[in-house]
Amino acid sequence: MTTLVVKDEDPYGHGIGGWLSHVGAVIFGIPDTYRRELRLHRRRTIALTIMTVILVTYPILNSAFLAAFSRNVFPLPLPDDTTVTLMMIFGIMAIGLNIVAGFAGLLDLGYVAFYALGAYTAAFLASPHWGSISVVFLANVPEGFPGIHLPFWIIVPLAIIVAGTFGALLGAPTLRLRGDYLAIVTLGFGEIVPVVFRNLSDVTFAFSLGPISIGAQHLNLTGGSLGINPIDAPYLPFANVTFNASAGYAPVYLGMFLLLFAILIARNLERSRIGRAWMAIREDELAAEMMGVNTLRTKLLAFALGASFAGVAGSLQASYLGATTSDFFTFSTSILVLIMVILGGIGNIWGVLLGAVALTYVDKTLLPYVGQQVQQIAPSFPNPAQFNFLLFGLILVAMMRFRPEGFLPNRQRAAELAAHTQADVEAKVDAIGAVDIQAETEAAIEADPSAVLDNTGPPPGQDETGPDARSPETIDEERDL
Amino acid sequence: MDQVIQTFIIGLSNGLIFALVALGYTLVYGIIELINFAHGDLFMISSMIALFLIATVFRLSAATPVLELVGVILLVIAVTMIVSAAINVAIERIAYRPLRHAPKLAPLISAIGVSFVLQNIANLIAGPANKSIDNLFPTTNLLSAFGITTIAVTFQQAFVAMVTIPLLIALTWFVDKTRQGRAMRATAQDPDTAGLMGVDVNRTIALTFLIGGALAGAAGVVQILYNNVTVYNLGFRFGLNAFTSAVLGGIGNLSGAVVGALVLGQINAFSDRFLSANWTNAIVFAVLIAVLVFKPTGLLGQQLADRA
Repeated sequence: MTTLVVKDEDPYGHGIGGWLSHVGAVIFGIPDTYRRELRLHRRRTIALTIMTVILVTYPILNSAFLAAFSRNVFPLPLPDDTTVTLMMIFGIMAIGLNIVAGFAGLLDLGYVAFYALGAYTAAFLASPHWGSISVVFLANVPEGFPGIHLPFWIIVPLAIIVAGTFGALLGAPTLRLRGDYLAIVTLGFGEIVPVVFRNLSDVTFAFSLGPISIGAQHLNLTGGSLGINPIDAPYLPFANVTFNASAGYAPVYLGMFLLLFAILIARNLERSRIGRAWMAIREDELAAEMMGVNTLRTKLLAFALGASFAGVAGSLQASYLGATTSDFFTFSTSILVLIMVILGGIGNIWGVLLGAVALTYVDKTLLPYVGQQVQQIAPSFPNPAQFNFLLFGLILVAMMRFRPEGFLPNRQRAAELAAHTQADVEAKVDAIGAVDIQAETEAAIEADPSAVLDNTGPPPGQDETGPDARSPETIDEERDL
Repeated sequence: MDQVIQTFIIGLSNGLIFALVALGYTLVYGIIELINFAHGDLFMISSMIALFLIATVFRLSAATPVLELVGVILLVIAVTMIVSAAINVAIERIAYRPLRHAPKLAPLISAIGVSFVLQNIANLIAGPANKSIDNLFPTTNLLSAFGITTIAVTFQQAFVAMVTIPLLIALTWFVDKTRQGRAMRATAQDPDTAGLMGVDVNRTIALTFLIGGALAGAAGVVQILYNNVTVYNLGFRFGLNAFTSAVLGGIGNLSGAVVGALVLGQINAFSDRFLSANWTNAIVFAVLIAVLVFKPTGLLGQQLADRA
């Protein structure tokens, strides 16, 4: 089990620099984490390693073995390379949203804004959009080609910075708000960003400040509703690989590589001091503040880090598809990612990853396939692929009603939600529903602490959170998923 | 100057429709602290129902005799209000009541789900294209009787006021003066204590949804007769405008919602007229964010104690 040495002084120093160096330490601690995982959870780590190897060898399996398998044994269509790449992109998004919504408990309904910012970062810095200038640096275009052309490998960190900065800018004034108001503010931001990208296609302005005067006539800043295309595909100079939609399974690997990074960073963050602070805030903000957590800064960091994941996903999506328009970035995309997080298991990285893969498969492969079949049998019947959000809406309602913790729940989160469900059940017994069950529960636990010790939680995979699962959400350093 | 007054009149009729929908948000938020995300889509469904009744069932047109027209429109309003109220109560029963004691974000997420379900049901039945009806009212300018020709007030705009204002007065009377209204206010203040005092909390919450649904129903009819067009995703934009109105006026505050809606109607109209319709949404959202960040209690303040 993870041993936590409580030190008197903060090893990373103070201030925002301290927080950033902490994030840096988390990233560089990844190999150590793997070694420790292997030592502590040998079986699971090996299983995950094997799963990763299978994923990595997927294209070879796909062409030879899986195709036959899907024809004969499991008669559902296999996702094509584009869908698998999208799975990776949505996986990165889901992991990022999980940091905001799952770890820190902040509902972000405008997550798509950061996706858009990432995509437009790639579009601005790797396309012929700025036709009047020519900057070519390590890119797969000839010297002197119009526009700015930076390599994908520089765009990704820039997209992280841009999305993270906007996350912090949006978060700084709004994170004091209560949960539901914050959700609406983020929704508003998520709607404003695409509108700005859509409308700034014909900018005329002029102002002067002393000797400086700046002006523009009909400047096409964002490409308007047509968007920006073509965008340079990610390009690996020495191996001479281009990761675009016609490159087969190469982009799958690129997506997988970035996703793997996202997973490792999110996992290490979760187990770091920041991660524990997030969970403390999620469970009881006031108590966390009393314990010395700087709640505003911690929430801001969750917001900015979560946003930067979407920035990566956006830059990958734009570079891979080679085009971007503001129409990609609608409220429904935000909700799609939210459903992935909720369906898989909010707070659990593997859960949200499962949600991302499953939902992308359903959305991009299964529903179109079913739609095709339906159209063949009954052409007048509505095509299920067009009504995917009817299904997704029903999933949201049903999940909240019957399984709010998701299919692969985070144990702490499940206990938290079960505590409320339990209160609900007892409130129904009580016709008035006016007794504060939670206070009663807490009093009962105080009176009989053994009830809590009995319930250090069910083993992962078993989801039974029975009546005694309503333990107060102690921060459990020894959680193993 | 005429332009400004004309825009003001358009904004006023916009604002009155917003007010009907905003009241649904503010009533529900006041009583169970839920941002009923599906409310805008309920409004859209109501406008679809009204369109169906007007165009397909009663086959109204501008040529219909005046008495018949008035009678049928009143009937359409009544039917739509009843159906919309029933839908809203059913939604509360299915999607929100089981989550009464869940963490606060759970019902919000459920409401988003309901919103998508309603939108897609409308899309499934009515199709993705705009649905429109013919204008049923005479197109004469009401002000021409007074010799004013540069500013126009149409029959449609007068109709909006004729339906909306009585409903707003009736609602205020209901909440302030009746026994049920008092139960609603008590539940909004403190559901537990209200329960102990003999208020049937569940029934009162259902009643709140019923009233909110009925107002959305009326707003749906008014919208289809005013703009003559509806579409399956109308509810999202309209709902956010109405929600912004409710927040602007101080959520939970009934007169605040009306004031907020009138202000927002003007913001919409002036932005459409003098800036560009492309920017209107962004401006509305910017107003929403600014209000939430700088004055979360809204212009008139919340009547409710913060129970967060």
